[in-house]
Amino acid sequence: MDFIVAGFIKAIELLISGDSSTWTAVWATIKVSTGSMLLSIGTGLPCGFLLGYFDFKGKKHLRTILDTMLALPTVFIGLAVYAFISHQGPLGEMGLLFTLTGIAIGQTILAFPIVAAITASTIESIDHDLKLTLITLGAGKRHIIATCLWEVRYGILAGAVTAYGRVLTEVGISMMVGGNIKYHTRTITTAIALETNKGLFANGIALGLVLIMIAFIVNLSLSFLRKQ
Amino acid sequence: MTKKNPAYHLKDIQHYYGNTKVLDINDLKIVKGSITGLIGPNGSGKSTLLKLLAFARKPTRGHIFYKGRLELPFSPTVRSKVTLLTQKPYLLKRTIFENIAYGLKIRKDKKHLEGRVKKVLSTVGLDYQKFAHRKWHELSGGEAQRVAMAARLILKPEVLLLDEPIASVDTESAELIRKASLKARDNWGATLVIASHDLQWLYSISDKQLSIFKGNIFSTGMENIITGPFVKTDKKTLIKKLDDGQIITLKTPAPKTCTAIIRKKNISIDLEKQPGNSSLNQLSGHIVSMLLEKQTEYIMATISIHDLSLILRLSPDQISCLDLYPGKKVVLTFSSNNVEWI
Repeated sequence: MDFIVAGFIKAIELLISGDSSTWTAVWATIKVSTGSMLLSIGTGLPCGFLLGYFDFKGKKHLRTILDTMLALPTVFIGLAVYAFISHQGPLGEMGLLFTLTGIAIGQTILAFPIVAAITASTIESIDHDLKLTLITLGAGKRHIIATCLWEVRYGILAGAVTAYGRVLTEVGISMMVGGNIKYHTRTITTAIALETNKGLFANGIALGLVLIMIAFIVNLSLSFLRKQ
Repeated sequence: MTKKNPAYHLKDIQHYYGNTKVLDINDLKIVKGSITGLIGPNGSGKSTLLKLLAFARKPTRGHIFYKGRLELPFSPTVRSKVTLLTQKPYLLKRTIFENIAYGLKIRKDKKHLEGRVKKVLSTVGLDYQKFAHRKWHELSGGEAQRVAMAARLILKPEVLLLDEPIASVDTESAELIRKASLKARDNWGATLVIASHDLQWLYSISDKQLSIFKGNIFSTGMENIITGPFVKTDKKTLIKKLDDGQIITLKTPAPKTCTAIIRKKNISIDLEKQPGNSSLNQLSGHIVSMLLEKQTEYIMATISIHDLSLILRLSPDQISCLDLYPGKKVVLTFSSNNVEWI
């Protein structure tokens, strides 16, 4: 028990003193998760909307595929992305292996089905009377879509937060695609795994604390937005 | 657009949900500036008809003319002139002010917005200071209905369609909705079509009543519907036995039909049974309600014959001559031949 308490105290010291290896991992995590979230929201939101709002042939099959993608293991995504961007892979020439961009691509694949599936479910749950109400108030297609999205904004935000939580805490993709290179592609989660293996619990706890803080700040901001 | 054109002209309209026909209207005209009451049981097609009139749904077959112009496909212009207050109004997840101003904002009509919202809120009996900045979930059922009504009235629509507007509101809200509806007609000549189960309220506001049953419109207002089961006594005759022992005899319908319509004009009222004619049905019952038709001053009397209710339209003279009042025992007479089947 003592080593946990000692590790906790040391973690606070590391964070306050601005330990470079700790803080580069923090910034790498923030950069890569922000990039992957922007990409997954940019693609997942419209796809989820189309899937939830319109009825078309093959919709059920698409939904099944999307729901299956929710269960994709991060190591499998890491492996697949690795295969594509490694020197032997079809995208090898782009030089994405062991870069933050490579990790962001993998994390986008991880977050996309979460954003799309939750958006689709949220759109499907819209009260049938909403569309009728909007039509009878004179709204055209553009206004109907915009208002429908605005009406379910909290549901969509919840989807984004869920996806962010998954992206922030994954290890498999960052480890396989990023390579856990110090000062370069090392993220909080890969650093925790490494430091713990080395027996440096304080560093691991320090990084874990930052991870929890980031998640807390994100949720607090969303809660504040909801109140507004 | 000439003045002669009615607000609506529905021609050969049929509407289906899957394979089920829910509306079948040969010809229906609704006069501009009129208030039309729509009466009918649940599932008779009232809401569907209102959705068609609101151009929110296209009929499976047939044509809808709006002010003489065939509307199909529905243009955004015509949609912006007509508005429908649904039975269960949906309030947007915003403040009351934003809910009421929504229709104007999408029309990019933002002049004197605050003043207009204030005015329309007072029309429906709500105080601006108290309600404008409340959230959508901070209202009672009656207040929500009035806010939804205000969101339509602020648009000053040419046509205001109301689907059960007082179904779940208190008497004060019902009266405010009635006054606001009349104001819409009187102030800017709006045409109103209102579906309601509350006949007393509906008769107090409407100029004309249409009844609807199984998607069929009866432009003569409420008519008497007798549903099965019937017993066949011979090739040409069906009977319906009431639980109190009285029997209704009706002539055989066309195949596969099971609902009889007895027009109120074909029913006579008396105080005692008359001897004679076997082709006449004579049924004893009690007057349960009397409603004044404000345009004509005729009385709509509902007579309960055990578990069956029949409606008659009586002149003031008939009422005074027979000294009719609710609770009085009467005898209704109609011919077994005067029956239509739907």
